[in-house]
Amino acid sequence: MGLSEAEKTYVLHGVEENLRVDGRDREEYRPMELETDVVSHAFGSARLRLANTDVLVAVKIEVDAPFPERPYEGKLEFFVDCSFSSMITWVLNKMKPQMASSPMNSHMASKKMLAKERTIKMISMDIGLPSSSANATPNFEGRGGEVLAAEISNCLSSAYCSSLSFDLTKLCILQGKKCWKLYVDILILECGGNLFDAISIAVKVALRNTQVPRVKCIDMDGNNVEISVCHDMFDCQRLNVENAPVMVTVCKIGDKCIVDPDVAEEQCSVGSVVVAVSGNRFSTVLQTGMGSLHPLTLVDCLKMGHKVGQKLDEAVKEVLKESLRGGDVGFIK
Amino acid sequence: MPIDHKRINGPEDTLPYQLFTKLNRKSLEQKYKELVQDGKRHDSRAPLEHRKIFMKTGVVSQAKGSAYIEVEKTKVMVSVFDPREIPNRQDYSLKGEIYCEFKFAPFSCEKRRLHQLDAEEKQYSQIMKKALEATVCRHEFPNFQVDIYALVLHNDGSALSAAITAAGLALSHAGVPMYDLITSATLGIQKDTILIDPTTIEERICRTPFWKEKEDNEHGLVVLSMLHTHNQVAQFYQSGSISLDKLPHLIETLEKACADTIPVIQQCLVKHVIKTIKKSSNVIEV
Amino acid sequence: MDDEPLICLPGQRLCLCDKTYTSGQGTYERQGYIYSQLAGYVDIVEKDGVKIVEVHSSGEQTVVPAQGDIVTAQISIITQAYAKCFIKCVGDTVLRRPFRAIIRKEDVRATEKDRVEIYKSFRPGDIVLGRVLPITEAHVYQLTTAENELGVVIAHSERGHPMVPISWTEMQCSKTFIKEQRKVAKVLPEKISKDFMQSSK
Repeated sequence: MGLSEAEKTYVLHGVEENLRVDGRDREEYRPMELETDVVSHAFGSARLRLANTDVLVAVKIEVDAPFPERPYEGKLEFFVDCSFSSMITWVLNKMKPQMASSPMNSHMASKKMLAKERTIKMISMDIGLPSSSANATPNFEGRGGEVLAAEISNCLSSAYCSSLSFDLTKLCILQGKKCWKLYVDILILECGGNLFDAISIAVKVALRNTQVPRVKCIDMDGNNVEISVCHDMFDCQRLNVENAPVMVTVCKIGDKCIVDPDVAEEQCSVGSVVVAVSGNRFSTVLQTGMGSLHPLTLVDCLKMGHKVGQKLDEAVKEVLKESLRGGDVGFIK
Repeated sequence: MPIDHKRINGPEDTLPYQLFTKLNRKSLEQKYKELVQDGKRHDSRAPLEHRKIFMKTGVVSQAKGSAYIEVEKTKVMVSVFDPREIPNRQDYSLKGEIYCEFKFAPFSCEKRRLHQLDAEEKQYSQIMKKALEATVCRHEFPNFQVDIYALVLHNDGSALSAAITAAGLALSHAGVPMYDLITSATLGIQKDTILIDPTTIEERICRTPFWKEKEDNEHGLVVLSMLHTHNQVAQFYQSGSISLDKLPHLIETLEKACADTIPVIQQCLVKHVIKTIKKSSNVIEV
Repeated sequence: MDDEPLICLPGQRLCLCDKTYTSGQGTYERQGYIYSQLAGYVDIVEKDGVKIVEVHSSGEQTVVPAQGDIVTAQISIITQAYAKCFIKCVGDTVLRRPFRAIIRKEDVRATEKDRVEIYKSFRPGDIVLGRVLPITEAHVYQLTTAENELGVVIAHSERGHPMVPISWTEMQCSKTFIKEQRKVAKVLPEKISKDFMQSSK
């Protein structure tokens, strides 16, 4: 999508006036829709829809040997896939044409966080059907997608790298011999701007949703280690994602900074900073986009990202708490 | 991790011997204490002191422009090639593209590196690309791509910064139009200790948090690249866990470190320009 | 001034940008000032009462063909509709790496465009002078030879001997005297052609 100069000026003036094209203010997110347990073969999964952006995250677990230099830790790896995105949206649309009508507000627990500054709106939904209305095809075909995918997965692994943001020692089964390896596969179903934020939330929720099998016993026979895992599907551990990072993309448009840019706004921005907030700290900051920033602008971006990131994190946690309470009502557990 | 089958790879299950040395068994507290002793680091530098830098242009005769940088033990070679048509592209791009490849030589680190780019190298390539995209006047060569290859011969910490600084020099040596001179600096933080231009050992210490429960367990690495005249941040990358209160201070410190590198690069470039002008005037006289 | 060239580095502020000084090659303008883009020496060219500040790189320049440039190209492949070629030189500078370009049938000559046949105009191996057309969406440069001074300058006959032009459509082999058809350039003497190049820019 190419924007004309006039359109860009319009967007820029909107940002200046603190009233963006879609009526949001500068620190406001678009509504989100979150579902968990969407992939039955995965150990944990989540799907997040942020206006036109749609991502699906699935976590698979396998047994592996830990790195020799870090014998007490498990492994975590991220894979981002942009290349099939248009095709899959198409398939989803084909499969569920009758369900694609407005799913808004009817059976979903909608919750408005932070009444004072209506910063983030989040809508939670337990298990439902995808409601894609794909009309914007992603503009990353071929090599462009690969580069973006690499950038996102690198940023994620960097953000999850510190043990203060995600404790990998919990994934160790036997020191130096066996550990769990989490494969986090991220599929971008539709791209409507702000991929970093959407993916980070989806990953956090998917990890929260992940059920790590409980190890019953470990046998050591010489150098061979045998582990046996609990057969009971529901006897499992949950991961602690208290400090798992939430990413906020702060975009500089004109002289002002905004969060959650849509595709048009992304094109108007001269530079942006992705901020991964874990607890009250930054776990990763990565400058993206084309241009350069003045050091003071960079600090402003960091401040804004920090503020919004914490609010977003709170909102995610609240929704998670609620959805968990709902999950307990089920007939088996 | 995909393996390149066309090359003879080392045995798969080998470990660097350093894992079994004494240094590796030291407790975390001990390591932290040894980080800075009597205001001096293990190589007798002050915490905010940058290592000495040596730079030279024109080291690769095959390339259009090249530069070599030595930050004491860290040695990086960067070569820049002429703009060429972007392969496999159909659409018209108004701005030129930059292709960056950051590579650790197999023998450059403690652990042997493979010939293919691993995740870390890919990430560094991307960060480097980001830094240089803001520096190069890309509108001057629409539809073209400039290739930049950085090869780390020896990694003793802050290799990415060294590569970015050298790439700026190599680009300007190649005569690629640039908005500004670029310099880059790295900083490590562990608890309250801030270390400019960390070595490999210091980098490793800054990567992991030492105290789980305490409040002031900040740690991490920060890389910042500055455009000199316009006072702009071309690239910023932070990893680890650092609070908002600390970060602005760290940015300031890095800015200063970047500014300190500028004279070295300027001197090197002026030397190069004078040399070529002399050479060309000699040719005319003959 | 000539003895001691003014050396500048990328990003160095050169002067104010106003009515008397404008930014030329190797410089850019930002917020009322002219800055250098290259490491090299400053050159001020006066033209129509305006001083153009230019910076020339000390080494070889990075040259990319631009619209309107006169280029020297070698024909590689010919088809019915176009001839493919490689640009070897832009103006006076020899390129390190050739660029791909095509000459479409319509752009071979200015008159009787519909009666042009590529094989009667160019053959693979010919050295051609051409002018770069505006870049369209296509990913290669397009050249035109639709000027008297443009077209084939060096060609060899089928036997491999150099040929000399005998008319603007024909060339003759110097050994076998076989005549072959080409779109021949009217090569001007050195001095005039230089002026011609400059005026065309």
